[in-house]
Amino acid sequence: MSNTPSAMGTAPDPGLQPERTELAWRRTALALALLSLVSMRLLPEAFGSEWWALVGAAGLVAAAVVWGLAHRRARTVTAMLADVGVRGRMPGAALLFGLAGVTCAIGVTGAITVFVVSASALQ
Amino acid sequence: MSAPKPSERGHSLLASGTAVSTTRFPRSVYSHGTEPDARFSLANERTFLAWVRTALALVAGGVALEVLGLDLHTGLRLAASLVLIGVGILTPVLAWRNWARTERAIRGGEPLPTSMTGPLVAVAVSASSLLVLLAILLR
Repeated sequence: MSNTPSAMGTAPDPGLQPERTELAWRRTALALALLSLVSMRLLPEAFGSEWWALVGAAGLVAAAVVWGLAHRRARTVTAMLADVGVRGRMPGAALLFGLAGVTCAIGVTGAITVFVVSASALQ
Repeated sequence: MSAPKPSERGHSLLASGTAVSTTRFPRSVYSHGTEPDARFSLANERTFLAWVRTALALVAGGVALEVLGLDLHTGLRLAASLVLIGVGILTPVLAWRNWARTERAIRGGEPLPTSMTGPLVAVAVSASSLLVLLAILLR
């Protein structure tokens, strides 16, 4: 289709950009998973109910989903680079938007936690 | 959708091999310009992800400051914590906005936009550090 090398064993992009991007996604998913695990310890204590561990569990699920979708995205991009070359069509950015939303929600949860902890410390 | 011809051609080439939806989110980005060098888009994506991790670290730091029960001036400690968390909530919003504006500029072959996210985070972390310093001195 193009003169981009796509033979077996030849990377479509010598800069390994899809790999580097997938590793960036993995670091982000791992950070998400780490915060979720910590919050499973923290939130039940702060709010006085075991049910708040579910927020951390939801965070773990979100981290797993981000990891999986990022892997699928990397495979799509690698295939695109091999087939069409660097001027191919990148997938859309819904995953990025979703991640930004999840990160905002984590921030709001953190703010609520801090308010509750500081209020209970004053009593 | 008013995508110019070159991007449509790129699309039909790929549509034969890979399943990609015809319209991509967000449309305000993908209806503009032509398909750029994918390596620029990937670099833009990694920058976005780096800001997301920064936001997660800011929120984690802010929560830890308050929850660890450090022997500091409580009001100043709370203020330092809220500054970190506040900018941690704002950062993903700005990161998304920067990603979209940069991707648009890349697609249109325009100069890349400047971003105030870096200065904002720098000011917030400095302010939070000052508050912690005061909280140590006035405990």
